[in-house]
Amino acid sequence: MTKLHFSRKQLCIPYALFLVLFVVLPMLLILFYAFTGEGENGNLVFTFGNFIDFFTSAAKLGTLLMSVTIAIISTAICLLIAYPLAYILARSHWKRKYVLLMLFIMPMWINFVLRITALRELLDLVGLLGTENYLNTIIGMVYDFLPFMILPLYTTLEKLDNSYMEAAADLGGNKLTVFTKITFPLSMPGVISGITMVFMPSMTNYVVSDTLSNFNITIFGKLIDEYFTTFDNWHMGSMISIILLLIIFITMICTGGFKDSKTDARGTNLW
Amino acid sequence: MKRTARFFAAALAAAMLFASVGLLSGCASSSSSDNVLHVYNWEDYISDEDDAENGYRDLIAAFEQDYKEKTGKTVTVEYSTFGTNENMYNELKINAAGYDLVCPSDYMIMKMIAEGMVEEFSEDFLQNGAYSMYVSPYIKELFDKNGWTNYSAAYMWGTMGYVYNPDYVDKEDLLSWAGIWSDKYQNKSTIKDSVRDSYFLGVAYVYREELNSLKAEYEAGAMTQETYNEAVTEIMNRTDEDTIESVKDALIDLKKYLYGFEVDSGKQDMITGKITINFAWSGDAVFAMDEAEESDTYLNYVIPEECSNIWFDGWVMPKGANTELAEAFINFLSEPENAVTNMNYIGYTSAVAGDAVFNEMLDWYSEGEEGDLDENGDPLVRHDLNYFFKGTGEIEDYSIWVSEESLDRQVGAQYPTEEVIERSAVMQYFDDDTNAAVNEMWEEIKGQPIPLWAYIVIAAVIVIGLLIGLSFLYKGKRSEPKPKKGYRVLKRGE
Repeated sequence: MTKLHFSRKQLCIPYALFLVLFVVLPMLLILFYAFTGEGENGNLVFTFGNFIDFFTSAAKLGTLLMSVTIAIISTAICLLIAYPLAYILARSHWKRKYVLLMLFIMPMWINFVLRITALRELLDLVGLLGTENYLNTIIGMVYDFLPFMILPLYTTLEKLDNSYMEAAADLGGNKLTVFTKITFPLSMPGVISGITMVFMPSMTNYVVSDTLSNFNITIFGKLIDEYFTTFDNWHMGSMISIILLLIIFITMICTGGFKDSKTDARGTNLW
Repeated sequence: MKRTARFFAAALAAAMLFASVGLLSGCASSSSSDNVLHVYNWEDYISDEDDAENGYRDLIAAFEQDYKEKTGKTVTVEYSTFGTNENMYNELKINAAGYDLVCPSDYMIMKMIAEGMVEEFSEDFLQNGAYSMYVSPYIKELFDKNGWTNYSAAYMWGTMGYVYNPDYVDKEDLLSWAGIWSDKYQNKSTIKDSVRDSYFLGVAYVYREELNSLKAEYEAGAMTQETYNEAVTEIMNRTDEDTIESVKDALIDLKKYLYGFEVDSGKQDMITGKITINFAWSGDAVFAMDEAEESDTYLNYVIPEECSNIWFDGWVMPKGANTELAEAFINFLSEPENAVTNMNYIGYTSAVAGDAVFNEMLDWYSEGEEGDLDENGDPLVRHDLNYFFKGTGEIEDYSIWVSEESLDRQVGAQYPTEEVIERSAVMQYFDDDTNAAVNEMWEEIKGQPIPLWAYIVIAAVIVIGLLIGLSFLYKGKRSEPKPKKGYRVLKRGE
């Protein structure tokens, strides 16, 4: 019997294949479609036309503006709700805090389409459905993505070394100063991680906006979907996807700028 | 070097594995393609379960059996489904040889015929097939007039109109398509989240006066039925720039009165009472009325006076299809008994007529004979369906006697009166340029209006972002803090 031996490189092959097949190739396909269009005789030709069309179309720019606004507001509300909660849970010595944490995380285990459909009925009950389309969409986004904000914040805050805060207090910092100068900056990786995990899906998750606004609000993800399915224009659909990718990239670079390099190792950056 | 070689070998092996899987599946499908029929249809669009109580029968299995009995050859039906016409079209573009029979909607059939994607029917099918025998004369004439007969066989058809709840809505208001452009039904009506259907609604609204005066002229006897229908068809197929612009304005205007758009939730929202008016296909209208009855809600269906849109789904055979099997399948489904089974199961109206279908309709809807009275003591009215059934069977007069209210219910939705047919037309498919323009219009309708606060939020975020950025820059340049009075900064090594 010979023992099976795999080198590290061999073990990497499945992952490499996976990455090539499901990440690199699709990306290349999207790039290909985004920068091609149908020529006169139906042949594919290279063009920047889709890019120019996007930035000259009032409707598309309007949709972009609307979805960025909805995403910013949803992310901000998520952060405002999640930070105090994560802070209290992480810093408390309460024995049952895990139960509470689990209650907040548990919705993630239930199919979100089901939850949104249920939320639609609830909003109808309180009379918001059909009248407050923007509010409903934001409520839905916050409801749906709150766990994604709580988790990274909680893990970051929980791992913070208490001695930093004690030292700051010893040196005369009051509670507010300790928080603003020590705790909050040290939890920045969790904040950024949470923001990226909420911001992107709330720009694209059109099941929420369609269901809760009765299709009155078009967000960026819906636009991509329409171009692929009903408008049957894969070129523009791909271009919009690329632009979305760029936006995410820019937000990541921007938020990354606030990151203190020393806290990197401590953080729980999920991206 | 050796290692890279090994890596490549492994990669090659993996590639070969993929290729061989592909080959195997390819072999499997090609070796038995002689007696396999690949059918590609809408979801839930054929009776495919045996349930005698509800009148359902597994028509796919029944076809396999029937074919064996008639020809002695076995056939297997590979049945798959799609959700939108565009998905179906893209699938056909990628896998053209994969299907023998598909069932797209009207405009997609026209597009596929125009693009030469479709096989012609055989002479035998057109002359002697069950379809040619039983298809309704109305549908046949419509297909002949438009040149579709050789390429497509109609399956289900209907009209467009408003489903409404008579407890909250006056029928009078909905005798015009303009009825929902009003704050009387604020946040109580929905239209379809579909470019073509909404475009039709917009056109009917924009040209309602022209359509009304045409109708008045026709009723005064100033034009023949044919001229009238041609004129209506022309108006409904206007796609010039001005029309698109007017339709856009009309629909953006409509948005402020609407509850919203819907794809499939309209039926349920009607039943639960969230909305009281829903712009719907007649087939869905019947479904909604049936469902609502179960919770003791009675809904009505009205086709406004100006015009209506005739829609249909039909069978086509993609290029390279096994036409013999495909035609046999269409003929099997066109036997009136099987059409009845399908109508029971799907709830839509079959394009096939015949005595079996008519008798089933009598069974469902007839409330008596000529001269009978309805519950309120009013005489029954004659619902004349000769335009649809005449010539497909033995019955002398294809009329159903129903109460006047019933015409607003299932029977009127399933089979519109001849008067409605006169003002109904098919919307042609849009060519690429028109399609792009109409899609652009739709995008603007869906994106409008952007509320002021959205601009304010964006502006605020940009300002805050700039302030934070500046403060970071400032902090970087700031000199060391000055020590308090009486202290001094220690120097290194002190």
